[in-house]
Amino acid sequence: MARNPILALAFVAPALLFLAAILAWPLVSAFLLSLQNVRGVGTSGQWVGFENYRFILTNGAFWDSAGLSLAWVLANAVLQTLLALAAALILHQKFPGVRVARTWIILTWIVPTVVVVMIWRWLFSTSGGMINPLMMQAGITDRPIGFFATPESAFATLVFINSWRWFPFIALMMLAGLTRIPSELYEAARIDGAGPVRRFTRITWPLLAPTLTVLLIIGTLLSFNVFDIIWLMTQGGPAGGTRTLPVLIYETAFRSYRMSEAATIAVLSTLLLMTFAIVATRSLARSGDER
Amino acid sequence: MKRTMGWNLTLAAGLGFFVALVGLPFWWVVSGSFKLPQEIIARVPTMFPQSFTWQHYDKLLSSSDYGTYLVNSVFVSGLSAFLTLLLAIPAGYAFFRLEFRGRETWYRVILLAYAFPSIVVLIPLFTMFAKAGLVDTRLALIIVNVAFALPFAIWMLRSFFGSIPREIEEAARLDGGPPLTVLRRIMIPLTAPGIAAVAIFAFVTSWTEYVFASVMILSDAKRTIPVGFSGIIGQYQVDWGLLLAGASLAILPVVIVFALIGRWFVTGLTEGAVK
Repeated sequence: MARNPILALAFVAPALLFLAAILAWPLVSAFLLSLQNVRGVGTSGQWVGFENYRFILTNGAFWDSAGLSLAWVLANAVLQTLLALAAALILHQKFPGVRVARTWIILTWIVPTVVVVMIWRWLFSTSGGMINPLMMQAGITDRPIGFFATPESAFATLVFINSWRWFPFIALMMLAGLTRIPSELYEAARIDGAGPVRRFTRITWPLLAPTLTVLLIIGTLLSFNVFDIIWLMTQGGPAGGTRTLPVLIYETAFRSYRMSEAATIAVLSTLLLMTFAIVATRSLARSGDER
Repeated sequence: MKRTMGWNLTLAAGLGFFVALVGLPFWWVVSGSFKLPQEIIARVPTMFPQSFTWQHYDKLLSSSDYGTYLVNSVFVSGLSAFLTLLLAIPAGYAFFRLEFRGRETWYRVILLAYAFPSIVVLIPLFTMFAKAGLVDTRLALIIVNVAFALPFAIWMLRSFFGSIPREIEEAARLDGGPPLTVLRRIMIPLTAPGIAAVAIFAFVTSWTEYVFASVMILSDAKRTIPVGFSGIIGQYQVDWGLLLAGASLAILPVVIVFALIGRWFVTGLTEGAVK
């Protein structure tokens, strides 16, 4: 088709300019802020070069949070993907009520995070919650478990809650990938006498793999950025056990009033994440070319 | 399609697991909101309410501005979804069909919007909005929500347009339709499920957004549900009945929206999201 630069510009420019003003420019401002020593919101500071970077990178708190963020991303990726894959495979089958199930599985994702947090805080609570009495009745434990009492259990509980919120969304995206696998393949396999397990390993898995990779990348970016669930639930505690990088950024900026240091951590996190995103999409594009 | 007994049992067990995982918490919350306080904190929890009361809803609606929060949330989310579509449809179409320099590069750059913690832009945006007099306005929330929904919306719409047979579009163009007419008369009606899916995505993103709404809005009368509700949680820490009623009312509107157009979301997604 003929090139029509003016038309293309009219179609694309509003969206691009909007994103530039609301996302890209603040990102540049955050970088400029990281080169100064601003403390409270709205106050001014002096230029200090890369002094903040030297301070943050030699600071244990940053590396602790970076480690936690890595663990957070990995744990969520595993749990979220497994739940989503199982759910997508079930929703791909034919059974009465499958349309209803496909629509309403998303319930966990359309509810405000504040409500998600409230629901699970109540359910996991040691006084009045549902989970502890049920577990005691079932004989799993003989006294209430404090799910948010230790750093490790709080972290694990939050991973569960976050994956609970996100897995249906990912399951639907996987379902989209599953429905694109031609059904003739399954028919042919069935005629050849292949059972469900073989059909899965020989057809579903290889054909779904590209979709899974894309969703793993998206899931990684999404879960790295999760802040509200963690903050509302534990505020990064107990003992910093759930203080991932976004929580550390918020705390540094709005609790300790060290804007420039917060911006520095933010810029470093962005570098980490962008590197991951670029490397991941590059290798994805390459494997796509080979196919 | 024939399935063995064992396979059917596995399927039923798996389905039961997910129904419980997703459904039980919501059942407990909604049914709990009608229980009397002593039943809520009973040592042995009840699966089905033994008592019935509206008292938690009465207290919630009379002691807080819950109705106002609800209206604000509907207003902000609805307008955010509309503006997202307004910007994303032409852009998605252009990235799919029109040729211009740097198309693929720009397309990837847009998706980098999700490659940084959104909290990074909170500080600079607050300063920008303060200068523009946008702090403590609902417009500020709409702007932020559109910005975060837009990249994903463009990405989804591009693949929806891609799923339309080229011949249909070609035929329309050969009939002499300028691109805008082709887009409006042919492409938009044909991708209606996809557009509905994008609208729902944008609506839900705004509906659930907490962080920016908590920082940008200062006056109680402009709060959205997430922020208003977190205020109530802080104020009535252990009044579970009141909190369960609040949670139920915060769930209700999206459930209504989803009951009406939810199946479009699934159809839209499954007809071509990930490519």
